[in-house]
Amino acid sequence: MPSTVELASSFIEGAPPGELADVVADVQALTSDGEDIIPSLLPAFKRYNETQLATVKLPGSSQEVIVSAFNELEDNRYFDPESQTSFEVDHTTQTASAAQSYPLESEQADLIKSLLKSFGVHAREHYPNCSYGVYPIENDSAVAIVLVSNRYSPNNFWNGRFRAIYQLPVSASSSTLTGNIHVDVHYYEDGNVALNTTKPVNISISSVSAESIVSRIAAAERDYQEALNRAFVQTSEGVFKGLRRQLPITRQKVEWEKVGGYRLGQDISGGKGR
Amino acid sequence: MADAQFDSALDLLRRLNPRDTKTNLQAITSIVPELTEDLLSSVDQPLEIRRCPQTNRDYLLCDYNRDGDSYRSPWSNEFDPPLEDGTVPSERVRKLEVAANESFDVYRELYYEGGVGSVYFWDLDDGFAGVILLKKGVTPGSQSSGEWDSIHVFEATDRARMSHYKLTSTVILHLANKTEALGDMDLSGNMTRQVEVDLPVESDASHVANVGRLVEDMELKMRNLLQEVYFGKAKDVVGELRSLGTLSDANRDRETQREMIMSMQK
Repeated sequence: MPSTVELASSFIEGAPPGELADVVADVQALTSDGEDIIPSLLPAFKRYNETQLATVKLPGSSQEVIVSAFNELEDNRYFDPESQTSFEVDHTTQTASAAQSYPLESEQADLIKSLLKSFGVHAREHYPNCSYGVYPIENDSAVAIVLVSNRYSPNNFWNGRFRAIYQLPVSASSSTLTGNIHVDVHYYEDGNVALNTTKPVNISISSVSAESIVSRIAAAERDYQEALNRAFVQTSEGVFKGLRRQLPITRQKVEWEKVGGYRLGQDISGGKGR
Repeated sequence: MADAQFDSALDLLRRLNPRDTKTNLQAITSIVPELTEDLLSSVDQPLEIRRCPQTNRDYLLCDYNRDGDSYRSPWSNEFDPPLEDGTVPSERVRKLEVAANESFDVYRELYYEGGVGSVYFWDLDDGFAGVILLKKGVTPGSQSSGEWDSIHVFEATDRARMSHYKLTSTVILHLANKTEALGDMDLSGNMTRQVEVDLPVESDASHVANVGRLVEDMELKMRNLLQEVYFGKAKDVVGELRSLGTLSDANRDRETQREMIMSMQK
């Protein structure tokens, strides 16, 4: 049987967008009989932050930068190539501290800088509230491009997150960009409704230039949003209608006095329901 | 403390993925075993189907037709596995239950065109109570599926020539979709609504008709609500996260509109 820490860890990692603090409070209440469980959940917080592309404000700045497995240095330190800063992250509170200058030293530095520029233009045009990053990975043989866009509206009982995570090997002249787009929406007024999507992306890139890479990404993201919008309509018209009709085929509501209840006046035997 | 923990458990289940309610419920009760009974009776989960050995008809399982490890079939009024002294409704309430099962069978055919339904009634000191269960699943293509579970719990309290009805309805709706262009899409959840009303009662037959109409109206409302939230609200939020058109075009349009309004006001 899984331990309390394992179970609580799965709750932390399952927190919907923008609701981590609420889930933490619930976990603390449920485990209040024992000692403080939060320190033992640190690995779960770290996995949550890196998977969900948590954003933290750089100390003394209003800029939000991403925490991911791609830009981790060591011991909870991460770096942001755009501001050339490294910083320490408290995974439990999602805050950054101890910022230091961190000049990007990478064989891919030029590509990363031009990707940051092109991708930044694309991101600002389509994501009203987003953070993004481009990082050298796998011993400088590839780059990771990540984007997260959050909208939280807890007063209206909804929160949402859009994540795009791509990797591109850059050793050859042509290459294949692979990754995933994830959309998570939570609506919880008088209920609990969740949209969770994963769309694998696989694009061959003929020339490894920032502009062509970003234009292919932009097209893939647009195609995906259009496919998702169509899926809402198709599911509503298809599967949803097939489950329960809005009205009977006669377009008349049930005449309850005539469909069985009338027999109550007559003699019916209790045991035969059919 | 137990009350606060119960509230936290419900809050947690309202936040975590509704697709995983069963697993999460088990996890919570393994951390706080004292909450098990209260949570099982207040958290709705997708209904399980069982075949009645006496009548060979399917019926639905819930906390209200359970006694120990046995479940009572609405068709035979017998427990499976058999129980010597399982709790059954009084003769009058069982007659009402039989009539309600017949009526809701017609209702199910008209609205669901298939699926499984079950109605269970039980006695109260000043009236009776019951639950109406409806379940349907569809898998039109191998890559898409849908499952609907309705759980309507009501109490009918006797008043002079009237009855006071209190209805709490939950619909659990799970939808999944998978195509090349779409990848995986899962749209799952549950919504709950309540209504209270006084209605005239001439005879016991009135009860079945009153409850029938209440459930019919509630399901119509909830179906509209689900449609709005699952396909309207969710799509709108996606649009808040990502704009299909460019934001500079959108800002330019807003600016132009603002200037037009300003110039008209001059």
